[in-house]
Amino acid sequence: MLAYLLNLATLMCINAVLAITLNFIMGYAGIFSIAHAIFFGVGAYSAAWLALHASANIFLVIPLAMLVAGALSLVLALPALRVRGEYFVAASLGLQVLGVTVFSEWKSVTGGLGGMIGIPPAELFGHAVADPVQFLLLALCCLIPVLLLTSVLLRSSFGRNLKAIRDSESAAHACGKNVAVIKTLSVVISAMLAAVAGALYAFYMGFINVESFMLDTSVLLMAMVIIGGTGTLLGPLVGTVLLMLLPGVFSYMSFLPQTEIGSIQQIAYGLAMVLLMIYRPGGIVGSSSARPAKEKAA
Amino acid sequence: MNAITEHESAMQAALAPQGDGEVLLSIRHLNKSFGGLKVTNDVSLDLRAGIVTTLVGPNGAGKTTLFNQITGHLVPDDGEILWRGQSLIGRRHFQIARMGIARTFQDLRLFNQMSVEENVLTVMEPVSWIWQPGGRAARQQRLERVHDILARTGLETKARTRAIDLSYAERKFLSMARIMAADARIWLLDEPASGLDRSSYERFLGLLRSEVAKGVTVCIIEHNLDIVVGISDRIAFLDQGKLLADGLPDEVLKNPHLAAIYFGDQTS
Amino acid sequence: MLLLQLLINGVQVGALYALIAVGFSLIFGSTRIFHFAHGSTFTIAAYVFYDLLSIAQWHWSLAVLASAAAAVLFGLALNRFVYVPIQKHEGSFFTVFVASFGVGIVVQNLCGMLFGRSFVAVSTPLSRSVEWLPGLYVSPLAGIAIVIALLFFFALQLFLMRTHTGMAMRALSENPELVRAYGLSPRRLSMMVFALGSLLVVPAALLSAAGSGLNPAIGHHVMLISLAATIVGGVGSLRGAACAGLLLGLAENLALAWFEPQWSEAITFIVLFLFILFRPSGFFGRVATS
Repeated sequence: MLAYLLNLATLMCINAVLAITLNFIMGYAGIFSIAHAIFFGVGAYSAAWLALHASANIFLVIPLAMLVAGALSLVLALPALRVRGEYFVAASLGLQVLGVTVFSEWKSVTGGLGGMIGIPPAELFGHAVADPVQFLLLALCCLIPVLLLTSVLLRSSFGRNLKAIRDSESAAHACGKNVAVIKTLSVVISAMLAAVAGALYAFYMGFINVESFMLDTSVLLMAMVIIGGTGTLLGPLVGTVLLMLLPGVFSYMSFLPQTEIGSIQQIAYGLAMVLLMIYRPGGIVGSSSARPAKEKAA
Repeated sequence: MNAITEHESAMQAALAPQGDGEVLLSIRHLNKSFGGLKVTNDVSLDLRAGIVTTLVGPNGAGKTTLFNQITGHLVPDDGEILWRGQSLIGRRHFQIARMGIARTFQDLRLFNQMSVEENVLTVMEPVSWIWQPGGRAARQQRLERVHDILARTGLETKARTRAIDLSYAERKFLSMARIMAADARIWLLDEPASGLDRSSYERFLGLLRSEVAKGVTVCIIEHNLDIVVGISDRIAFLDQGKLLADGLPDEVLKNPHLAAIYFGDQTS
Repeated sequence: MLLLQLLINGVQVGALYALIAVGFSLIFGSTRIFHFAHGSTFTIAAYVFYDLLSIAQWHWSLAVLASAAAAVLFGLALNRFVYVPIQKHEGSFFTVFVASFGVGIVVQNLCGMLFGRSFVAVSTPLSRSVEWLPGLYVSPLAGIAIVIALLFFFALQLFLMRTHTGMAMRALSENPELVRAYGLSPRRLSMMVFALGSLLVVPAALLSAAGSGLNPAIGHHVMLISLAATIVGGVGSLRGAACAGLLLGLAENLALAWFEPQWSEAITFIVLFLFILFRPSGFFGRVATS
């Protein structure tokens, strides 16, 4: 029982980081990315490669993984953000597909379909973090700074810029905001922090393969953010906890066909997304949006 | 429409500042087509410092389209737009905004999910990177300015309210508050007073007058005759993309041909 | 010879992609709704056809009709019960997109639960390739695909250019007022747009069911193609979407001459990315200003 709970808690921390970072761009900048799993993957593969070939020292691996993800996101964001948000969705869907193909085919670096195995445990001040309790603490030590950092950023002028862009890009332009730069910055920050989750994941699991970074994962992350409530600080956390408890809840309901639990889960949050958008677009944590005041006929 | 006697109009002509100010914005032979439709047809117009120019004309005459070309939202097919001698064509919208040209939108485009205070504060923070220069002192100063602007637009009690929760009139005033925060030399206002009730409208007129008195150059798109007559120094009449008249309010509005086009639209 | 084979395959696939893309472009261009569930319409049409033909053993013509009806009903229901309520109270791009996405997830998983996750196909003699020229294999299905696509385009062209309703559809996105002048309400017109757009995926769905096979995740691929073709062709241009669909089908197949099959989806993305980089307005689109 304890092992199960520790596992759940650790995975929740990792997913929470991902949800928070996805919310950063989706809920605040209004950038819809279905490719978040790819940056998660880039972080994981970078960390795994470094741990296997260089060093498993956390203070080396995590920053370098962040750098790789950040650089990649910069290269991708610069052109993609020049177009409207609607087109960015298309580009991100394409990126997700392309990323999975690269992860599966680039055998020399990612191990191809088989993935990478035998990843050594993370090293912290010379001590190998192999014990589940210790790892949970490590995960929390990564989650909390990420949470603090994003909340500081969001309360600052940068956060206001993001929200302005989300609410009305043309008005933001008219106020003199260089929208492209702001969006690019937010994507890079989001990708870099997602890589932190990736590195944690690689160390925790000891092996990684492309299965963890496919479209399903991106969709799950999106669901966490949306159901919890976009544009709020607490929303992604609520969404993460809720959606990660769901498989457990469903397996209790023995009248459900156990082999189809995965599908049932997905149907559950697909339905939740649809219903929420109709009745409560702000998600669980968000406020239900009021109607704009009726415009009087001129 | 106020009855303007010969004497009064002569006085107005003498007093109205119009010929001497520096030309801030110069539009020369601007052309723009959408598909087969010519929305801007060889328009030339000068906006001089300290003067209020009103763009009037029937719906669809191309007034907002003209604004969009000035602010860089649309690229004209040919012609020139000069801001204090420099060409604006080809510049990005945010660059043009930073050069001192601010605008409002007919559909307001407020930052709906943000509070009134945040809406105004966002405009006041110019830099796009992660932090603003100046530290604590500058931040304090900005906040004071924000509250000053909110006081002048009558929104202080709603400082923490989300823009989407405001009443119609309050939203219009927030749009004005945003442009007041922009520190711009010229304001392009797109139907800022449309749909306002009587008392809000009076308040709006007062606000506009006091800002104009401070030296802001304004170009307004308006249908409301009280503004057109009461506050304009010049009127430019647009119809189907063409500039039909550009002069003193008197001259333009007394022209029967233009009145027919204008009032014809009002009754339809 | 390989190249010629790939070219023919490319044209066949491209013709179907063009239809799918035009369906999406019509809906998106007219109503501005990011109908991410367009892929689901395809999935539903295809699986209904498969189920009725292979499992329930209906006559193929009935299966085709039922399939078309299912697609149209799905599109209409989605519009009526999901998009319209959302647009009534807030209707931002985000909410519509997420709802559409949610529908896609539900449909994909339902189909997975009902029909399994592996590839299924309708077996028909039409899908068997015949050696047309030495080394060149073509199936009657390919010919049918191209002919049907051309017929549909021709009919669509007539409809949009000559009929009142059609012209009103084209005007819907630019000028809803003009639509009222035609004596139609924008809401009813949106309904028709959804019906028509959904109908356009049916030929592609049926031919895929008979040809390359289906699995529940096929909706994603359809969506990627629709989006890519709409952007590459230019938003608002149906002609562009059709051309781009054809181009993507060709690119996907011709790429097989040099790359492994698993890269074919990636090719689509690369083409899309290049366009976003260098020509975001696509071939024929209006300039994508904010």
